[in-house]
Amino acid sequence: MEEVTAMTINDMKPGQSARILKLNRGLQAGRRLFEMGLVPGARVKLVSRHPFKGPVLLQIANTQIALGRKMANSVEIEIQE
Amino acid sequence: MAIVIIGNPNVGKSAVLNRLSGSNILVSNYPGTSTEISANPVKIGKKEITIFDTPGIYSIFSEGEEQKAIRDLFEREEIDLILNIVDASNLERNLVLSYELMDLALPVLMLLNQIDRARALGIRINEKLLSELLKIPVIPFSATTGEGLQEVWEIMESSSPEKKDKAIKEEGQRNKENLSRGKKPLQECSLNELRMGQCNGHCALCSIPADTCMSYADWRRVEKARTTADMVSSSLGERQRILLEKTQAFFDSSLLGTPVLLLLAYLAFVLLLKFVAISEGPITALLEPLNQTIESFLSNILPPGMLNTILSKAVPEGLIIPFSIIMPAMLMVACIMSLLEDSGLLPRYSVALERAGSFFGISGEAIIPLSLGFGCRTPAIMASRIMPTASQRFIVITLLSIVVPCAATLGILASVIAAFQASLPVIAGTMFAVLMLMGFILSRLMPREDAFIYELPPLRFPLWSNVGKKVKMRFSGFFTEVLPLLLIMSIAVRALLESGFLEIFRTMEAFTRFLFGIPAEAFIAVLVTIFQRYLAPLVLLNLDLTPREATIAISMIALSLPCLPAMVMTVREIGWSGLTKILGLGFLTSCSVGIMLNLIL
Repeated sequence: MEEVTAMTINDMKPGQSARILKLNRGLQAGRRLFEMGLVPGARVKLVSRHPFKGPVLLQIANTQIALGRKMANSVEIEIQE
Repeated sequence: MAIVIIGNPNVGKSAVLNRLSGSNILVSNYPGTSTEISANPVKIGKKEITIFDTPGIYSIFSEGEEQKAIRDLFEREEIDLILNIVDASNLERNLVLSYELMDLALPVLMLLNQIDRARALGIRINEKLLSELLKIPVIPFSATTGEGLQEVWEIMESSSPEKKDKAIKEEGQRNKENLSRGKKPLQECSLNELRMGQCNGHCALCSIPADTCMSYADWRRVEKARTTADMVSSSLGERQRILLEKTQAFFDSSLLGTPVLLLLAYLAFVLLLKFVAISEGPITALLEPLNQTIESFLSNILPPGMLNTILSKAVPEGLIIPFSIIMPAMLMVACIMSLLEDSGLLPRYSVALERAGSFFGISGEAIIPLSLGFGCRTPAIMASRIMPTASQRFIVITLLSIVVPCAATLGILASVIAAFQASLPVIAGTMFAVLMLMGFILSRLMPREDAFIYELPPLRFPLWSNVGKKVKMRFSGFFTEVLPLLLIMSIAVRALLESGFLEIFRTMEAFTRFLFGIPAEAFIAVLVTIFQRYLAPLVLLNLDLTPREATIAISMIALSLPCLPAMVMTVREIGWSGLTKILGLGFLTSCSVGIMLNLIL
């Protein structure tokens, strides 16, 4: 395992926007992220985080995507604004 | 002429088809409503057209049952036109699939569906430019208002296999020829060979041509989709949030949303039980005269004897129980589920309960098939296809088959509990404990990868016509399946009782008493559940049981084997080996529950 120092979706606060940099997932999970439009370069906004390490809710374009914490942890981002 | 409808999940494919053909396909507001390909014959003008409705997918090249079914359809059928349904308010992601479809070298017609919603969101799309860029016809469409319908009909009427573009035709022909010679020219030819996880990152050493390799080709399409979407769409910027969006923001906030969702679920459950309790009396009173008429009629026309006794008792019984107990429950569940589905609330449960679900080893999506199971297990087992992996599907189908009570079961359980004054808390508690324990054990046996990702549809006001249609379709199963089956089985059960056949089992009395604390006949009722779970109480109601015996017997029945239609569906979905495992587990569960309760109570 390489050291992960970059920010991930889990580091975002509700209301913040970010740009996706990289997906640190294997092919299968990576493909599911890709299918939902979570690809490098895409802009996402964090809508809410569910308590007890529940899923996070993201907005991409006009759709809302719920993402498990582990998945969210594997998406590297760069906060915008 | 054959047309296939393809699009992302929840973009309104079935709604479009309903508009085009006037058929009654169930439309819901959550991804994954159509889980099978359906062929719909439509007549437009003088033309006979078959329209294939397919389940929503994000990419045809991905792994998965639905994707494979669609790829098989392309190989099996001579498709003349692909009707690509695109969510106008989410162009960029939808276009990725469109580019895949265009790579298949078949004519594509694009419908910008839900264009009215996109306009309300302040999105403007230059469809002329989009059409020029993609080199395919693009039509703004609304399945709700009917906008664009005329144009689609015209194109479908005028396009014909002969009129196919010559170049496209030749390319398709070439692909087919190459396919038969075992070459891989385009992605179409490797449709069924594509497997996940094959890329080793060394293109020179790879047997898959660079053009057909997933990551590279996919990448290019994402880039193209982004550029195209940016070029053709413009946003009107800040606009007023409509009431519905405010409601949605409320439900999607983590602190307030989840408790409100749970409260709603609780209220729905209370409503269901109250409705069943209140309606049972009047319905029985209403049916009583009819019941007596049938009974006296049958006993008069039939020669006296065993047949007379059996039929004159069994027929009224087989009629009154479905109407007074099962019908109200089925009706209410159909209404509640249809409302939850149509409003878009149901998927929000899967997000809110994701953490709780992870304890059972199932991800949040499972809430959809599991809650559908409270209506009827058969469609619920089919809906389990939305689960991401095969082992997750098995867990969901097992829980559905053994633990989750369907509307018919709930109704009949409630009546038996009342008849014997059995303990509801014990029965409900047992069911819950089994649910927890079984999920816990299964999830440890089949660990899941934490890869929860789920698209949430926008919240909508339910369309009454749509809800009504769904309630009707759900409820029609009562007359086609529940009523005839119960009538037949009621006669069979009565025959069994009258024939004295059950006397044989009296020898088992000592055994069942010792092990489960119930009389042998009650154990027969448990065995009857193999045919149809909600039949078992028919046997019980004819017995003389103490509350304790009834509590144990009902718990054993509530947690046993799936009904026959559910078994048939299970075989279809996961095969005989899956069903065998579930049946074994069910039998084991039922016996363990009996033994445990006998020890505890």
